[in-house]
Order: sequence, then structure tokens, then C-alpha cells
Amino acid sequence: MSLHIRLQALGNARDTLLRQPIATALTIIALAVVFALPVGLFTALSNLQQLLASWHNQAQISLYLHDDASPQAVAQLRRQLQQSPGVVAVRFVDKNHALADFQHYAGMTAAIQTLGENPLPASLIVELNPLAQSSSSLEAQVQQWSHEPIVRSAQSDLKWVARLQAIVALGTRAVYILAILLALGAVLVMGNTIRLHIEQRRDEIEISSLVGATKSFIRRPFLYQGLIQGILAGFLAWLIVAIAFAVLQGPVDHLANLYGTSFPLHALTVGEGFLLVLISAALGWLGSLVAVGRHLDNTVS
Amino acid sequence: MIEFINVTKHYPGRRHVLRELNLQLGKGEMALLTGPSGAGKSTLLKLLTRLEAVSHGTLRVAGVDLATLRRRHIPAYRRRVGVVFQDHKLLMDRTVYANVALTLQVAGMSARQLDHRVRAALDKVGLGDHWREFPETLSGGEQQRVGIARAIVHTPEILLADEPTGNLDPELSSEILDMFRDFYRHGTTVLVATHDQGQVDRMGVRTLHLAHGQLQEKA
Ligand SMILES: Nc1ncnc2c1ncn2[C@@H]1O[C@H](COP(=O)(O)OP(=O)(O)OP(=O)(O)O)[C@@H](O)[C@H]1O
Ligand SMILES: [Mg+2]
Repeated sequence: MSLHIRLQALGNARDTLLRQPIATALTIIALAVVFALPVGLFTALSNLQQLLASWHNQAQISLYLHDDASPQAVAQLRRQLQQSPGVVAVRFVDKNHALADFQHYAGMTAAIQTLGENPLPASLIVELNPLAQSSSSLEAQVQQWSHEPIVRSAQSDLKWVARLQAIVALGTRAVYILAILLALGAVLVMGNTIRLHIEQRRDEIEISSLVGATKSFIRRPFLYQGLIQGILAGFLAWLIVAIAFAVLQGPVDHLANLYGTSFPLHALTVGEGFLLVLISAALGWLGSLVAVGRHLDNTVS
Repeated sequence: MIEFINVTKHYPGRRHVLRELNLQLGKGEMALLTGPSGAGKSTLLKLLTRLEAVSHGTLRVAGVDLATLRRRHIPAYRRRVGVVFQDHKLLMDRTVYANVALTLQVAGMSARQLDHRVRAALDKVGLGDHWREFPETLSGGEQQRVGIARAIVHTPEILLADEPTGNLDPELSSEILDMFRDFYRHGTTVLVATHDQGQVDRMGVRTLHLAHGQLQEKA
């Protein structure tokens, strides 16, 4: 297949689109909105996940140590913990600090002092990224840590990790369903647009067929129309998401400030943006393929 | 070049339009096809462009058996034939040049390759100066000449025309039919359907009369 045939079909597609600039623009905008919605939600979700991941002080596991644990053994376990997946930081709290903390929070100085000896154990506090692994594997890991020889007992509250993960999974699933439905919608929008183009150009199709155009020759400009509109819609959707996130950054900064922190929103990366364009191009192509398959055979004899 | 052997054609649910029809038209021959309205002249030409398929019988054109021709081979066959229509079938939103170039484009020719052929075809039909115009701005006779240029630009072996002068006054009709006779004299096989008895008498070429589904040679 020579290049000039493709280029000529491309020129034909471009001319057709430019001949009806408003209709073309409306199709592209409609598709862009359809694409921007799930992509925006995906991006919001991934921002949320990052935010949750940064709340690691919420997901803590305390490993209480035997009093006779040697400093070397503690240091070694600490290193081992630091290398485990999802572990953000490991803190060592010795007996004295534990007592100081206890006194500070519980205010039972007198009671403790009557014991004479410090009854509180030293501990390793493990801070976790709650989304780094499933709550069941996290549980298994904690179980394993609690069987370390120098560990007396482990204390963790993994229920909320499980809940959080369930909510994130639900959100992700919902956005996937939405994305699939909207992708289907995009294919239908494109298919209908191309169907109208086919109707409008019945004469041209008929005459081309009469002078010996092959089916693929006739199909090609329509497929390119779908492709071009898909690509443009993809870039526009990218732009819409970028603008939406830029607009949201102000309020998010304000909110983060109130919590005494900062949270920069991440819009689409360049790679994700091009993936979006690629997918929307493919859907545009697919939509016109459907229309061409359904409506061209009636015309080409 | 064109060979009908006992060709029968009927449209679904209709009586036969052509029945056991026979015709031999040799390479480089020309014939006019006459007959009353509804006799099946257009149908016969549609069989030759493979817009319609024969119901029974054998139809061979330029070595191609049209009765058994595969669907996907129809385009290649059509590129060996030139067709002119009564209603021109021009693309009104394309220039004269683009209308004529279409025949070569569908055959895969690049803009550079087809340019001199398109100009030559337009010169042949006397429209060399009108290549940039749109069909709407041309007269009926000029539009038909664009249709003819489109039909001959690829120098087809066979030129078919279905009442190419149907909408034209006698003078223009003569002009157009003389053009077909010119192509015939240059070696193209030509078959033209026409109602116009005056033109038939004037042309003095082989005439085939279609009636009751059969062809009759006329002197
Ligand atoms: N697509 C079709 N479906 C059914 N019947 C058809 C079709 N095309 C033509 N016919 C019928 O076939 C017969 C021959 O039609 P055709 O158009 O071939 O005649 P014609 O000789 O070209 O007539 P005219 O001189 O008026 O153009 C007519 O009775 C017509 O009604
Ligand atoms: Mg007719």
C-alpha cells in the first residue's frame, strides 16, 4: 500500500472535517468531555491514594520486645523491618521513653512509682503505608514479626486499613465501570457521526464504487475521520483535566493549610496523557469502523 | 470483447427483463443500443458494469466471466471499463479536475502521476480551460463532457454509456455521440444506449434493438 494513497485519504478526511467545522468541533468536544470524566476521576483517585499513603502515622504496628533483648538483636530486627515492603519508618522506643510517654498520656506517675521498677517494655514502632499491600498479607506479616524471638507481643489495629482498602477498591471499581460505559458511549457518538458523514456522501461513495474503488479505498477516509477526531478529543480531554486540576489546586492548598500540611495535586503525567490520546484515537477509529461496517455495505454494491 | 450467451435477467419478484439474450461485440467495435422505454437497456448496461448480476447464462467481458466474478474482484474489473450516465453523476462539490481525477485516484495513482492524464482527458473533451471550475457553473453539455472525460481518462478497453445525450438538445447530442465515435475509431469498444432515432440514423454504426428481452440487429 503506497503512502500517497493513505495521505490522499487523510487529506480527504481532513477536508470533510473542515467543511463542517462546527459539527466537527461539537463531536470533538462531546468526545473530550466523555473522556475527561473518567480520566479526571481516575486521577483524583490516584491523588487520594497518595494522600492516604502519606498518612502513615495512622497505620502503626507496635512490636513489644523482651527486656533481655540485646541491642544487636534489636538493631538487626530493625534493619530487617525497614526492608520489608510497605514499611515507611521504624522507630525504637526504649523502656525509659515508654515510661515517660505513659506518664505523659496516662498521668499515673504515682502508681508507677510505687512499683519501683519500670514495668513497660521497649518497642519497635513500625509505620506503614496502608495501601502498599493487602490487609491480609499485612496481617500475615505482622504475625510473622510477632514470632521473632526478641518480640514479646505485637499490637496493631489493621481493621481500618482493611476498611480503607475496601473503600479505595470500591472507588476504583466504580470508576472502571464508568470508564467502560463512557468508552462505549464514545464509540456510539463516533459511530453516529461517521454514519451521518456516510449518508451525506452517498453520491461520492456510489460514484467511487462505479469507477472501481475498492471497499478499503472507500472506507479509509471515514476511518481516518474517526481517528483524527479521536486524537483531537484525546488532547482536549487532557487539557480539560489539566485545567480542572489547576483550578482545584487553590482550594486544596487552603484545605491542606488548615490541616497544617501541603498537598500538591498531580494531574496527568506526559505518559498518561499520551496513553489517553492513544485510547481515544483507538475508540474514534473503532466507532467509525462500526459505522462503516454497518452502513457502507448498503451503499457499495 | 463483450459476449452475452443466453443471458437471462430478472429482478426479484418481476418477470424477465432479458431472456436468453445473445450478443457479440468484438474488440474495437461500436454499437448503439435502442429500444422502447422499459425494454431493459439500462439493465443490460448494468450487467456490464456489474451493478447487477446475470440470473442465468454466460456473460464474458474482456476475458472476465461476470457471472462468476467474485465480489472482491469487481473493483479491478470496473477499472477496465468506462461508464457515462445520463445524469452525469458528477460530484458537485469537487472541481472538474477532481471529478476526472477520481477514476485514477481509486486506481491508486498519485497526484503527480495522474496530472497529465487528467489534463489530456479534459483537452480531449474540449474542457481544458475549465478544469478549475465546479460542475454547477457548467452547461448540461459541458457537464456531460466532464462525465465522458472521467470515463476515458484511464483509457478503458470498453466504454459504456446509458443515454448520454438524454438531456441535451440535438446539436449537443451530435457532438457527444461524435465523441464516442472518435473513441471507437481510436480502438475502444463502445456501447451506447440511446432513445434518439435521429442520432441513430445519422451515426451509421451497428445498431442493436432491444425488445421483449431479446436483441435484434438493425441495418
Ligand atoms: N432495480 C430494479 N428492480 C426491479 N425492477 C427493475 C429495476 N430496474 C429496472 N427494473 C425493471 O426492469 C425493466 C427494464 O428497465 P430498464 O431501466 O433496464 O429499461 P430501459 O430500457 O433502460 O428504459 P428507459 O429507456 O426508460 O431508460 C423495467 O420494467 C423496470 O421497471
Ligand atoms: Mg434506461
